[in-house]
Amino acid sequence: MIKGIIHRSPMPGLRLSMGITLAMLSLIVILPIGALLSKGASFGLEGIWAVVSTERSMAALFLSFRISLFAALINLVLGVATAWVLVRYRFPGRKLLDAAVDLPFALPTAVAGIALTALYAPNGFLGAMAKEAGFKIAYTQWGILIALIFVGLPFVTRTVQPVIEEIEREVEEASATLGASRAYTLRRVILPMLTPAALTGFALALARSVGEYGSVIFIAGNIPLRTEIAPLLIVIRLEEFDYDGASAIGIAMLVISFVMLFVINGIQIWSRRRIGYV
Amino acid sequence: MSDIPAQGFRRATEETKGVQVLLILGVVACMTLLLFAPLIAVFSAALADGAVAAVQSLGNADARSAIVLTLTVTAIAVPLNAAFGIAAAWAITKFEFRGKAFLITLIDLPFSVSPVVAGLCLVLLFGANSLIGGWLVAQGNPIIFALPGIVLATMFITFPFVARELIPVMIEQGKAEEEAALTLGAGGWRVFLTVTLPNIRWALLYGVLLCNARAMGEFGAVAVVSGKIRGQTATMPITIEMLYNEYLSVAAFSMAALLALLALVTLALKTALEWRYADQLAATHRH
Repeated sequence: MIKGIIHRSPMPGLRLSMGITLAMLSLIVILPIGALLSKGASFGLEGIWAVVSTERSMAALFLSFRISLFAALINLVLGVATAWVLVRYRFPGRKLLDAAVDLPFALPTAVAGIALTALYAPNGFLGAMAKEAGFKIAYTQWGILIALIFVGLPFVTRTVQPVIEEIEREVEEASATLGASRAYTLRRVILPMLTPAALTGFALALARSVGEYGSVIFIAGNIPLRTEIAPLLIVIRLEEFDYDGASAIGIAMLVISFVMLFVINGIQIWSRRRIGYV
Repeated sequence: MSDIPAQGFRRATEETKGVQVLLILGVVACMTLLLFAPLIAVFSAALADGAVAAVQSLGNADARSAIVLTLTVTAIAVPLNAAFGIAAAWAITKFEFRGKAFLITLIDLPFSVSPVVAGLCLVLLFGANSLIGGWLVAQGNPIIFALPGIVLATMFITFPFVARELIPVMIEQGKAEEEAALTLGAGGWRVFLTVTLPNIRWALLYGVLLCNARAMGEFGAVAVVSGKIRGQTATMPITIEMLYNEYLSVAAFSMAALLALLALVTLALKTALEWRYADQLAATHRH
């Protein structure tokens, strides 16, 4: 059977490397996810829908998705601007900024969560300033938005940055020589080249934000129906030993993850066909 | 590119100075509010009662056991994931087989699954109510609410890190050098250790670095499977949450500062690797 799937090769280590890969993949990823899916299969679609369609679950899922979408959109604009500034402009502190963009990848989410809360809570430095202006950030949906912007910050910058570096100046020069204004060149020449990478970054940021837990729960306030995100509702159900309820919401989130993964792969295939790189 | 534009003259391939300054200021302002300010907040809250109080809070038994637990979990999870990453990258880049794209998608899957859902999956598979979990608990080796569960959760979350770094580098390097070594009579392990490993060592270190940072800081997945037993199954991030919820601000932020320092060291090492060994890392990290 294996001969039909794997091409013959003189390279050694096929059995060992493939064995380790498949064994660990099964134990760590496939079996656990399979356990959730088989739990879902035992409820049937109606069973899952009965839990997911309750007011509290719907509110939590919708909140997670909606604010993640806003955060990813903001990160899309901010990320492209950051990548452009980092590649094209020279200013003091540029290298520091370049390194700092990855901070959300390196900083543990719980640390980010309490740090953002300390900063944006009414008694925090920025929260107090917002309070003066009659505005509350922490313990509202604005707080969730800030946490999710933080979490998704590096994705768009890091996918777009290498693409901007690869753009050849000749293209822009040609456009300028033919009489295009700078704004026109940016819009019609540069932007289309960045679109696939920017969309990939956007989808990655969105996927990460929808499932985010640690950085959100401290700043969110966690009021059911208003500031309770879907992952938190799963944790609450688990603490009540309501494994079925937790699983139903977990399956809804898993389906969202699968769809996003599908979309990300689709974008990458599309961009490879269109411009030859990701 | 070498000629210097005359005073008051703008290259047609650049934005006006005004636009440039505005964009730079805008980006720097956003990054200051989102990145630098929270970092400063962590350290200033940790030092609110002075450095002595901060250090003392890390010295008590629960804090020390959290640090030891986090180090233990990382010391198990990261080498295992590094071994997996090397094996997966070898299998994927040295052989041609059907379903390769699907295998890569499966390896990437943990990136798009919520950490809480990952924890939930492990509870369903290994929890006391499950077939496997029930048997293991009866044997006196529980996985959930114990060290193995925390390790599995950490491994799930950090699963793709090393493989993701190695695959593009190994694709780029091709198979020619390994094939030459094989032709000259080297055995499989010798080819790997003397030809492949030196070529991928910096990419491997890069992947391990990111894997380690994420492993030490993982919260959502661990929160679900740890049971949060103080002094036993509470990792550093879990301890931060417990202290924070008990309004022990200095203690919570001191431990957070410790993890933030780790994040800063990680970023510094990562940046150093990007500058020094750019040509030996995946193309997306060369800037």
